[in-house]
Amino acid sequence: MSMTTTGTSSTARSTSSLAASSKFKTFATTFSISGPVIYCVVQYFNWPLVTFHPATNRLVWGYEAARSGEGPNMLWYGWTLTAILIAAAVGIIAMMLPERITRKIPLALVWVFPILAIPYVIYSLMPWWTLAAKQ
Amino acid sequence: MTGLISTNAFWTIWLFVHLILAVGLLGALTHQAMAVALPARQAAGGIVTRFRAVPAAGYATAVCVLWVLTFLVGSFIYTKYRIYIRIPIEAAHDYKTGGFFDFKEHVTTLGLMLLPAYWYFWKNAQNPDYDNARKGVTLVLAVMCWFVFIVGHVLNNTRGFAS
Repeated sequence: MSMTTTGTSSTARSTSSLAASSKFKTFATTFSISGPVIYCVVQYFNWPLVTFHPATNRLVWGYEAARSGEGPNMLWYGWTLTAILIAAAVGIIAMMLPERITRKIPLALVWVFPILAIPYVIYSLMPWWTLAAKQ
Repeated sequence: MTGLISTNAFWTIWLFVHLILAVGLLGALTHQAMAVALPARQAAGGIVTRFRAVPAAGYATAVCVLWVLTFLVGSFIYTKYRIYIRIPIEAAHDYKTGGFFDFKEHVTTLGLMLLPAYWYFWKNAQNPDYDNARKGVTLVLAVMCWFVFIVGHVLNNTRGFAS
């Protein structure tokens, strides 16, 4: 039987000009490296781009606390939007840097940073765990 | 819901769409993760070998599209979750369940952030410079996907369909 390498498909070819672009590579890797870190920072400082009030279907810019008689507020949409916008801006700025600099960005950070973000995320949910521990 | 279907049925259908998309994403990512973690050297063999022997690069765009669609549908359902699921969960003192759902929402956003690099690495699968990064990001995404899927499943068991 002939031995063929499957799985990672070593013969796969770049199918689009986007995938062949070094500028896009810089944007994509910078976005993905900075994104998890920025998300944690945005959540820590509570910088939502928008706040949604699901009971009244009200969407407002920035942060707005839950109002009496109007149910809870939702910040996760706003945190996600803020983080995406900032990470995209970081990616665009990185695209403007010379390739000799962007080439030095360690690609392993793409998967290391989200793993490092997990302990912070668990810590940020401490109110839930504290309530559960009091049960 | 405009008389055609009840409000409960409307949201249950969206929850079901979310589930179907998540199952597709989970399958694609698990195939891909197995292919990078334990690459098969020959296509034929037992079911496990065949499971690993998929043309993994071809899954990249589908995984990105499915992650985004699952994310968007989940975000849509989340508005109702906050009122009709989370408040009763808090009232029932199911704090671990509520906490794990919030954990899930953060993990889905972290995963979303990884998609551009993930897609780029897979679209350049012939470049050995990206092998380690591609393997790492694919495994991280697969673990994230399994985690959010299981949390969603448990939450649905707690208070989901037709609640």
